[in-house]
Amino acid sequence: MRLLLLEDDALLGEGLRDFLRAEGHVVDWCCTIGQAQGLRGEVFDALLLDWQLPDGSGLEWLKSRRERGDATPALMLTARDLLHDRLAGLDSGADDYLVKPFAPEELAARVRAVGRRLGGTATGLAEFGPVRIDLGAKASFLHGQRIELTAREWAVLEALALRAGRIVPKTELEQIVLGFDSELASNALEVHVSSIRRKLGRELIETVRGLGYRMEK
Amino acid sequence: MSASAGSTHGALEPSIRGRLMRALAGWSVACGLAVAASVWLTAANEVDELLDDTLQSSAELIGALVADLPDTGRDTVTMSAQQPASERFAWQLARADGSLVALSVHAPQSPWYGSARAGLSRRGDWHVFGMAVGEEGRMLYVAQTAAERFEARMEVAGAAVLSAFTVALLSLLWVNALLRAELRPLSTLSERLSRWNLDPDQAASALGSPERRELRPVHDALRALAERLSTRIANERAFSAHAAHALRTPLAGIDAQLAVAMLESPAPLRERLNGVRGAAARLQGVVAALLGLFRSGLEIRRVEVDVGAMLARLSAPGVDVQVAPNEPVMADADLLAAALVNLLDNARRHGAHKVTVESRAGVLRIRDDGPGVDAHRRAALNCALERQEYDGVTGLGLMMADRVARAHGGRLRLPESAEGFEAELTLASRDG
Repeated sequence: MRLLLLEDDALLGEGLRDFLRAEGHVVDWCCTIGQAQGLRGEVFDALLLDWQLPDGSGLEWLKSRRERGDATPALMLTARDLLHDRLAGLDSGADDYLVKPFAPEELAARVRAVGRRLGGTATGLAEFGPVRIDLGAKASFLHGQRIELTAREWAVLEALALRAGRIVPKTELEQIVLGFDSELASNALEVHVSSIRRKLGRELIETVRGLGYRMEK
Repeated sequence: MSASAGSTHGALEPSIRGRLMRALAGWSVACGLAVAASVWLTAANEVDELLDDTLQSSAELIGALVADLPDTGRDTVTMSAQQPASERFAWQLARADGSLVALSVHAPQSPWYGSARAGLSRRGDWHVFGMAVGEEGRMLYVAQTAAERFEARMEVAGAAVLSAFTVALLSLLWVNALLRAELRPLSTLSERLSRWNLDPDQAASALGSPERRELRPVHDALRALAERLSTRIANERAFSAHAAHALRTPLAGIDAQLAVAMLESPAPLRERLNGVRGAAARLQGVVAALLGLFRSGLEIRRVEVDVGAMLARLSAPGVDVQVAPNEPVMADADLLAAALVNLLDNARRHGAHKVTVESRAGVLRIRDDGPGVDAHRRAALNCALERQEYDGVTGLGLMMADRVARAHGGRLRLPESAEGFEAELTLASRDG
């Protein structure tokens, strides 16, 4: 999943970024709202937001995104643990609320839960013909046989699975894959899609010429 | 040193209404008795005068009737009455030599006087009025018993006393109702106070306007108190919010970095890092407990705590901690850990190398082998702990330990110790 982490504390921000990357996510870490606003137009699967930031309130920023119709799932990460704070956070558009200090494993589990919701499945399992994808375990199966994918291949497959039934533009997919390697070759996405098709079957990913890719359940 | 006494409730305090009613009842009885005595004395004279006049009038009336009564010689005529005659009223008609010509039914057979005696006089139990009748030196004596006069006085005095006590009783009932009505604003104020959340902005609506002029200073004092409390609460909330952010975020960062380091480390180092993560997690618990303790209204979660096991988990660098005996205590584990960490750190900072912790009957004794404190200093510390006026006297460690003990209904004391320093942490009120 592609995640935007908005956290001004360097120790925590860096730790969470690295932990979530190790979990297989693509993480963009910003320390200020200004930096996050610089990523306008980028597509994220989930937002991980601190409340108190040097240049404003993460909650207010989330509110303004919601007012613009942005429905990206958001998790508040904050030291504010009082009931009225949690209520304010959830009522302002946050989908989840995690009080610091928390174990990064718990954050990762909540991100996985967001992924399951995005994939429209409660179990984290998605079926695409003979292909079964376990979003929680980050595993793919063809006719019940486990098929190993690289981290980049998994990122592309997961992004398409989470957006099943929708055409995903190439630029959006490139942003996800770009998180792993900024020196990516211009045809890298096609290379990864081709590799996935070779491993899991040509019918899994449909090319919509001139628009992008699509996976149908 | 004794535990501070709690507030007492119930019927022990004197009641304003009860005291006033008792005072008024005593005053009414005294007034009633004074009225009775006064009436008795006044009525004695007035009744005597009235009865004397009556006696005199009766004598004149009877004298007119018996003036022409024929004298039968040596015999005495007893006059019978058609109506039942009163035993308390009698008359005698005597000759000039004192012998009786006639007498009423209840009059004594012997003459009251041997020779003529006019006017009012007392003869035995009788009040006698004598007057001359006719031409032959006859004397008519009309008399009334002393009992009759006493009864008349008693009737007058009794009626007066009854009236006085009736008025007093009615007054008591009226004053009682009046007191209830006048004291009602106090109970109304109490009810409103119990519902008030001490928000000074809501003082006017919460307390209402004073119903009596005497209550206005109370209302003013309560508003001022609420403002002071509100300022203090706001400051503490701001501090705790700041402390929460300042402490929780680095703790989360430490844990996240350790988690990443564990992922990137070889297996032998991973175990070591796991231990550090465990210590960081305990620190998180302690910090959360202290932040919770700082916020008023904390509800402690008592569980059975094995003090020995807890001390084994707590990080106490620089001191050798021994536990004996070790009875489990019912306490909030995080708060107790916070208190113990602070007390152990306190011992280390004051030169102790060995600390013995004894857990028995809900009381923890923490003794160390440090230089301890002199009696004067210990008294000052105990005084500060007793009054909860820690500032400038106790360090943070003793203050935190005392706050934890008080959150459990107990407190921290520093008893005399033959050597080193001893702290006694009670986790339940000794008063029960």
